[in-house]
Amino acid sequence: MVRTVSGQPGRVRVPAGPSSGAPLSFRQRGAIFIRRHRLVPYLLLIPSVLVIAALILWPTVQIAEFSFQNYGLSQLVGSSPTQWVGFANYAQIVHDPEFWLSLRLSVLSAAVMVPLTLIVGTLVGLLLSRLGRKMAAFVSSVSVLAWATPAVSASVIFVWLATPDGGVVDWFLTKVPTWLGGGAHWAGFSWTNAALPAYTLATAVVVWTSFPFIAISVLAGLRTIPGELFESARVDGCGPWRMFWRITYPLLRPIFQVLFLLSVIWDFGVFTQVYVIIGELGQRDEYNLGIYEYATAFTMPPAYGLASALAFILTVILLIITVGYVRASVREGALQ
Amino acid sequence: MGLRKTPAALVAFGTAAALAIAGCSSSSSPSAGGSASTSSSSAPAQLTVWRMGASVPSQVTWMNGVVTQFHTSFPQYAKTKVNVVWVPWTSNTTDWNDALASGKNAPDITELGNTETPTEASLGVLANVSSYVDSWSGKSGIVSGMLANDTQNGDIYAVPWFGGVRAVWYRTDQFKAAGITSTPTTWAELVTDAQKLMAKYPGTYGIDAITDDSNAFASFIWGAGGQVATESNGTWTADLTSPADEAAIKFYVSLYTKYHLSPSKYIGQTELGNTGSTSGGANTDFGLGKLDMYIDGPWATATMPANSTDKSNWASFPIPSQNGPSPAPAFAGGSDLGIFKTSKYPQADWDLISVMDNTANSTSFANLQGFFPPYTAQLTSGPYKTQKFMSGFASAAANSQISPLNAKNWSTADTGKYYIIPDMLKALMNGAPFASTVASANSQLQTVLNTGTES
Repeated sequence: MVRTVSGQPGRVRVPAGPSSGAPLSFRQRGAIFIRRHRLVPYLLLIPSVLVIAALILWPTVQIAEFSFQNYGLSQLVGSSPTQWVGFANYAQIVHDPEFWLSLRLSVLSAAVMVPLTLIVGTLVGLLLSRLGRKMAAFVSSVSVLAWATPAVSASVIFVWLATPDGGVVDWFLTKVPTWLGGGAHWAGFSWTNAALPAYTLATAVVVWTSFPFIAISVLAGLRTIPGELFESARVDGCGPWRMFWRITYPLLRPIFQVLFLLSVIWDFGVFTQVYVIIGELGQRDEYNLGIYEYATAFTMPPAYGLASALAFILTVILLIITVGYVRASVREGALQ
Repeated sequence: MGLRKTPAALVAFGTAAALAIAGCSSSSSPSAGGSASTSSSSAPAQLTVWRMGASVPSQVTWMNGVVTQFHTSFPQYAKTKVNVVWVPWTSNTTDWNDALASGKNAPDITELGNTETPTEASLGVLANVSSYVDSWSGKSGIVSGMLANDTQNGDIYAVPWFGGVRAVWYRTDQFKAAGITSTPTTWAELVTDAQKLMAKYPGTYGIDAITDDSNAFASFIWGAGGQVATESNGTWTADLTSPADEAAIKFYVSLYTKYHLSPSKYIGQTELGNTGSTSGGANTDFGLGKLDMYIDGPWATATMPANSTDKSNWASFPIPSQNGPSPAPAFAGGSDLGIFKTSKYPQADWDLISVMDNTANSTSFANLQGFFPPYTAQLTSGPYKTQKFMSGFASAAANSQISPLNAKNWSTADTGKYYIIPDMLKALMNGAPFASTVASANSQLQTVLNTGTES
């Protein structure tokens, strides 16, 4: 996705011609061909393209192929032949209420997780920029610890915090006064037996593990804004709220745009945290798209074809978001 | 699931060694055990046996004894190592599937829940063992219904190893302290007794109304005179909307919604906790004295926490029927032993199975764990009636049923993909409208039982 707009690193003045008249060697001619056609950037890209092709493109092609087949266990072990079934898998998915339920959960949870992550991350980023050196170092290293915690560990810890048997969350909520929504009815409250509490917990885990990235990125952006802007705004009597929306946000817009799209991609495809929190498989009303796809593929009897169609749908949705991401990046000049 | 990572090199070595041994032992004498081991007598370097559940020391000791007998009875396998791998019940179907699909780390012999055997046999996971069973001395003594469960179109895919039934666990001293003189025989008495126990022991739960154990829940349907589903001419008709079934569903859900005998955390759980766990659920609560009555089989002793309280007062009574006095029919659970389709040594596998499952060993194993052996003669003269803890299970076993929980597509409907009854109970306990929820579960169950898929 790198576009060489100016500078054209591949372009080198080619000598007008061999003055000696001696025939050129194969190597020399190859070098001239590469220079004349400006192939250097493409040659440099080849290794990474090959790696991506082997790790992502080829599996994607295979998934696309499976999604049009009745691929299951007996086809895998070869006891019955693989058949092409056209769009039957896709038709089955579209008519499956479970698919729409899980898609809804994926969309709704991302719609809550993304803004929350961005808000918390931005606030911490702003806080970091105003703290003294020691405090800033402390806060940022603690946040990075949260970021560095593996998703499974973080989820297990949150499940323990919220366990109905003496978890600190339920204990705390019973101590909260009734007018704040607390009270005795929180004792033994289960956070995993229905979609709403389970996804509330999942949102907490996701926000907790992903806000540091936002905070650090926002902080890096803030460092690029000249301090005079804020000083003169303050002299003119501008409050922090207006300063953020009039100075910080417009200047950091490209960064926010990228962070927003990245968060959408990550949170829409969230799997690990939800899988741990809902206690693995079995609670179909709490599946999001990723877990539904996993269950379709790997529970007995496995339906690899159907799951591939699901995976393909998920990929296309994420691809649409990614295209938006790349377009926004290019438009805002983040990538040149 | 990280229980059985056999390094590829070891497998390769094992195979090579087995081939080498096969080369020199082809003229070994017939087995001393009298079994007809006439086919290729290649001795494998290692046989892998998948056991279900969590590793239990007493069962390991038992298995070591069996392996010694195996080596003595079949001298040609004297050098064969038997490797036991414990697979959690909740992931066993996935693990079979992965082993078959990848061709790696597959077992030679596997234990199967008896409701799983028909499904796995039809999916091609198990080898056909008819020829071995037909010439097996144990065949005639096996409870015929149990063997029929492992037979499809006249072919046998596994042999019964042990049986077991669920009943209600309780503590005799708690019953006495709460003023309960005899165990409940109707649903109304069950509720009253649970209420008495909760009043006497504040902070405990009366009984566990978990949603994810259809094997136990079926007893409530049967205890109301209903059926989960019935088969006629190969077509299944789901029966959840019948008045009897609806009464059972309503009662079971009301244990949580109306009587508050069961906590909300059990919604969505199995008797062992979350789907992937073997502890932290109702079993742990009963062991620690936080739950007064607990529905499970005697085998759950193995999953009780090590610091369980007051074990000496544990006792059992059969799950009551709606109006008494005779108990509700219990689901005839149990395990089978089968040979995995990909095993290279079916003869050796069978020879090991024949030792594990002979009368003496299957009975000692059953006695060890509170199961029932699969042999009719042992069942009718068993020691079960006299023990306080086992007597309830023994009465329950007298009246048991298995259909439709052994239907070919039952695993798919109940534990593999669809969780139909668990999800229905969960939705109802979370406040979903009764009639429409039950009706949609009913039509879903009927479709899956007949077609193996939802749509």
